[in-house]
Amino acid sequence: MIAALVAWFVADLVSVAANRIVPGEGVATLDAIGWGGVLAGSLAMLAVAILGFRPNPRKYRAALIVTVTMLMALPAVLALAAARLADSDMPQARLGIGPGFWVVLFVTLLAMIELRTRLGVSRLNGWVLMLPVVLSWWLCLSLWLAPLALLQEFRGRSDQFVSAVLYHLALVGAAVGTSLVLGVALALAMRRFPTLQRAGFGVLNFLQTIPSLALFGLLLAPLAWLAANVEWVSTLGVRGIGWAPALIALVAYSLLPMVRNTFVALSQVDPGVIESARGMGMSHVQVFLQVRLPLALPVMLEGVRITTVQAIGLTAVAALIGAGGLGGFIFQGLGQAAMDLVLLGALPILGMALVADALLGALSERLRPGGAK
Amino acid sequence: MNEHGVQWRANRALRHWRLPLAWLVLLTALTVGMAELESVFRWVEADSRQVIYDRADFVTLLGRHLLVVSVASLLATLIGVSAAIAVTRHAGQDFLPLVAQIASMGQTFPPVAVLALAVPVLGFGTLPIIVALLLYGLLPIVRNTLAGLQGIEPSILEAARGMGMSGGQVLRQVELPLAAPVILAGIRTSVTVSIATAALGATVGASNLGDPIISGIVNGNTAYILQGALMIGLLALTVDSTFERLTVRRISR
Repeated sequence: MIAALVAWFVADLVSVAANRIVPGEGVATLDAIGWGGVLAGSLAMLAVAILGFRPNPRKYRAALIVTVTMLMALPAVLALAAARLADSDMPQARLGIGPGFWVVLFVTLLAMIELRTRLGVSRLNGWVLMLPVVLSWWLCLSLWLAPLALLQEFRGRSDQFVSAVLYHLALVGAAVGTSLVLGVALALAMRRFPTLQRAGFGVLNFLQTIPSLALFGLLLAPLAWLAANVEWVSTLGVRGIGWAPALIALVAYSLLPMVRNTFVALSQVDPGVIESARGMGMSHVQVFLQVRLPLALPVMLEGVRITTVQAIGLTAVAALIGAGGLGGFIFQGLGQAAMDLVLLGALPILGMALVADALLGALSERLRPGGAK
Repeated sequence: MNEHGVQWRANRALRHWRLPLAWLVLLTALTVGMAELESVFRWVEADSRQVIYDRADFVTLLGRHLLVVSVASLLATLIGVSAAIAVTRHAGQDFLPLVAQIASMGQTFPPVAVLALAVPVLGFGTLPIIVALLLYGLLPIVRNTLAGLQGIEPSILEAARGMGMSGGQVLRQVELPLAAPVILAGIRTSVTVSIATAALGATVGASNLGDPIISGIVNGNTAYILQGALMIGLLALTVDSTFERLTVRRISR
């Protein structure tokens, strides 16, 4: 919190640029939102810092309320800054978000998460807590934040953005789906044939070590050759660049966590449980489907979670070899030195990874025997 | 010890390090002798005039790559291990949940996003990459060090303290040696990810082994891409197999 306070005063809250090309000019918090705003923000931060000093549950709850209110107020701060700084002479002006704002946002989020764990708020209540924050952000973004550079970047290519998000999700989904089927099959085969186990894990470990950029590169040449020389491959739309190498590489990376978790999950089911199921007269297939699989499911889902999060990030790299998706915005933005375009690509990827992580984590917790119902 | 014994030990050491050595030899051979392979690459990329990447020689590229990765990894190891030790001591216990939370949540951040977000703050060039690698590389090290230190049975610590060891002695002679394999595994993950992410640094203006790949993609020159990809792949394999051998050795002792 002290760090946030320092950032609040010292660092530039926002930057203003006359247009897209000119680099932004920093504006300190004081100039951006005026005395009243600064005072209110400082008071809120001080309150949290003081409440955290001699902790007890009541103080924690109060601090939590203050942090949530702060999170709700942050977009309003931006809106206020936009209103004060907007110049009617410059309709092209853009408002960038400065480091000061990022630090405050980050620290406040951290404080909220920390308080949430300390108070032992359940997952569902945690989401309810986020609801007003999301609502307030959405409201401010749609009503008052028109000059925000990020938003202008978005408006310029909203169709592209939507299709990029969908494409990104489709690639991730296809990769995770394929590797789920392949991974489970491989894990089952490994259980049946122990000799396969060593070789299989060896190959998968080897694949995992190869850096993503290198693997994409190495796949490019053979796929281009295949597309050029084998007719049915090229009619499928497989080419050296594009979705084909991306999908293959994604599946290759996804297999290790998937196979490892499935294998471990199936192996660690208590033999006593299997024994008693057999004793009840269940057939092999029944034992597998009704006992082993349900017991192994949480750990397998953990594998799906790791794989999904990993694939969301790797798909961004795949944009380099022409696979499209949100990574395209990142690299396009880096190429044009347009940082808000980079953010437009990076923030949704981050959000997707966090949401996928939270959802699948919650699902596997729920499926755990004796877990929260 | 007689001569025979020395020979035997040398042989065993050689056999132990066989795999990393093999990768290292391949990597060096490729670094020095890339030009010799021109005919091979010519066959891959028949149309282009230039088939060997020549904007910088491969020794320089490899050197820069190694420099960035090793600076970031060394700092990450130092900071990560000491941070994890600090929060497992009595005085720093308040921060334990916070640090553990950051370490596990941060790992869901994709490296590309971290790299991309570092650029607006730090600018283009080598420095932002080192900082991004450092921040990202911290997470597995912190997490594994925490897991290693917390995984030690309390009765062992009790016994060590009962023998009259001071806090520092327990840390140095009991906790760290016991946690070493797990910590080493964390460093291994961190370095492997760093090598891969550093290659992406070529897109934000750092010149390293990612360069041939990026310029190959831009110019449509498959030979460049292959050269860069082979080098990075071999580098990753060399480093990873070295770590693997190190871990095996620690356990077998």
